[in-house]
Amino acid sequence: MIENIIGEGMTFALPLFVMAIGGIYSERSGITNLALEGLQGVGAFVGALAAVLLARVFGAQSQLPYYAALLFAMLGGTLYASLHALLCVYFKANQVINGVVVNILAMALTAVFTKGINRRLFGTPSDKFVLGVSERWSILEKSVYPFEVIIVVVAMISWYVLYRTKYGLRLRACGDNPHAVDAAGIDVAKIRFTAVLVSGALSGLAGISFAYSVSASFSSGIYVGYGYLSIAALIFGNWKIVPTLVACLVFGFAKSGGYQLVQAAGLPSSYSDLIMILPYVLTLLLLVFFSKHNHAPRALGEIYDKGKR
Amino acid sequence: MKWVKQYEETIIPVIALLLSLTVAGIVIALLGNNPFAVFANLLRGSGILPKLRYAGGKSMLTDLCSFLNYWTPMIFAALGVAVALKAGLFNIAISGQMLVAGFTSSVIVGYSSIQSVIAKPLVLLISIVAGGAVGALIGWLKYRFNINEVVSSIMLNYILQYIVAFFISMYYVDPISRQSRAVSDESRLTLANVEFGGYRYDIPLGMIVALFAIAGVQFVCKKTTLGYELGAVGLNRKAARYAGINVGRTMLLAMFISGALAGLAGATYYLGYFASIQPKVLAAMGYDSIAVALLGNSNPIGILFASFLISVIGKGSTYMSSTSGLDAELSSVIISLILLFSACKVYIRHSINKATDKRKARVEK
Repeated sequence: MIENIIGEGMTFALPLFVMAIGGIYSERSGITNLALEGLQGVGAFVGALAAVLLARVFGAQSQLPYYAALLFAMLGGTLYASLHALLCVYFKANQVINGVVVNILAMALTAVFTKGINRRLFGTPSDKFVLGVSERWSILEKSVYPFEVIIVVVAMISWYVLYRTKYGLRLRACGDNPHAVDAAGIDVAKIRFTAVLVSGALSGLAGISFAYSVSASFSSGIYVGYGYLSIAALIFGNWKIVPTLVACLVFGFAKSGGYQLVQAAGLPSSYSDLIMILPYVLTLLLLVFFSKHNHAPRALGEIYDKGKR
Repeated sequence: MKWVKQYEETIIPVIALLLSLTVAGIVIALLGNNPFAVFANLLRGSGILPKLRYAGGKSMLTDLCSFLNYWTPMIFAALGVAVALKAGLFNIAISGQMLVAGFTSSVIVGYSSIQSVIAKPLVLLISIVAGGAVGALIGWLKYRFNINEVVSSIMLNYILQYIVAFFISMYYVDPISRQSRAVSDESRLTLANVEFGGYRYDIPLGMIVALFAIAGVQFVCKKTTLGYELGAVGLNRKAARYAGINVGRTMLLAMFISGALAGLAGATYYLGYFASIQPKVLAAMGYDSIAVALLGNSNPIGILFASFLISVIGKGSTYMSSTSGLDAELSSVIISLILLFSACKVYIRHSINKATDKRKARVEK
């Protein structure tokens, strides 16, 4: 049972973590990013579409569509993130409102396109893309999804880039003192734009991972607030990558532990509704205890205005 | 070009609206339909234009009444978003507050045998308290613990949704419809199936309250100290504190009023437009109302117009989808496009200013 809790917890926590890293990139550069929810949804949509199309070409047995889906999900997330980036960086929209708007648009667009594509291309009246079952890798005698390994690698690279490269330093400076960055002759807008794109790519990877691990399909069921959970995780992690991982693991184990409890106790299925609220309640409690002592990037959410002092 | 500056508050939303309808029209055309026919079908479905055929006992006025029933909660919900925005807060727990209000008033009044004279005001009162309490909780978390109101709103939305679903499935479920049991006619804020001249109508009583609410919010924002304090806190929290305004109390009050209005939206939605609650589903209206508030510039009069428009798109979607053969979700795409362009208001204003400045410079030369 402990084994199950850890295994399932990790499959939930790792995508959450990689999405939170995306959020950290965006927010450390000074752009509030509540759009993660929509980014992961669109990413998952694009990835799932690619997988479904490729599966028709290569057959259901091939694992190629699976890896292509991960790649296309990152591309789709990046592309859709450029909308948030464009509006926030160049069109000077209110970042909080725009994030929510981007999410609502994502829900509407993916729902319409999923139905439309299913009907026109595949001739089935369905509102979801059914994905094949992903292969499992066996690491240390445990079977894991390949995306878990990929996420760990991506997370390590992201950590290195953010804390050990020139780009990372500039990115973090943009969030605290964009005027200093500008004075050094670096384009603030460009750095912020790319940071939001990175958050899109990482969210897309997270989205397709959720699609594979939760239901092996893509539908509107992907929008259950995981994007917002990862934002809570990064706030709890004080906008730093390693503490954020801890928060994500707590969420993951709370969720899988709750399920195991309901199953072990043999409670009726209505009680699983109550268990569903565990991660959300935990988020609120964590925020209550940790928000006060946290320091958001100083220029977070402020539109960069060159003329302002 | 003086008139542009003068009517900026009206012109910018109109530009945003035209842009979004153009983009929506292009999307519809790409899907192989005539955009104007689709828009006309939206109006037909809302009882603004006559349909080709009507079922027995129905007329255009029946559709219009049904539309008014749908429009009423939209007004309340958008006013709720607007009051919070005024104080610089973004309440996206509207749908959660609607659900709580609808559920508590269903349980306390809807399933009892209270007479309608007492039941209807009681539903309104309970909804105000229930919605307002959730709103106030978010406001309190914001100023006491510095928790981003958007994140806490979303968390509360999910928590409330699952808790209500749990209670409905355990105690109040209708085994056939899988929804909560229908509330009594005495408690419903809509007079259902009123016969008149051979046709049947649903008379929305809540509409009257909604019009009062518009006037009330307008009055509070423009003429009272509280309204002034809300605006001051929204514009600059630090400056408001220096000016001696109790920022925490003001934020809490703003969120309470916002939640209370959302509660009224819930009452007129779950105990008016519908008579039951579908578990595990949050009303899309909670999100649509954000579009209304943004499009209407958070101004009560603007909201009256904007909510009419968004309600037409939302309400007419069913008829549009059956006649034009497009998915009903298309209307949510149109609404989110309106949202998107409304969010770029600052940029549109900036472009207008730039254009007028250029013109001025040319004239001066």
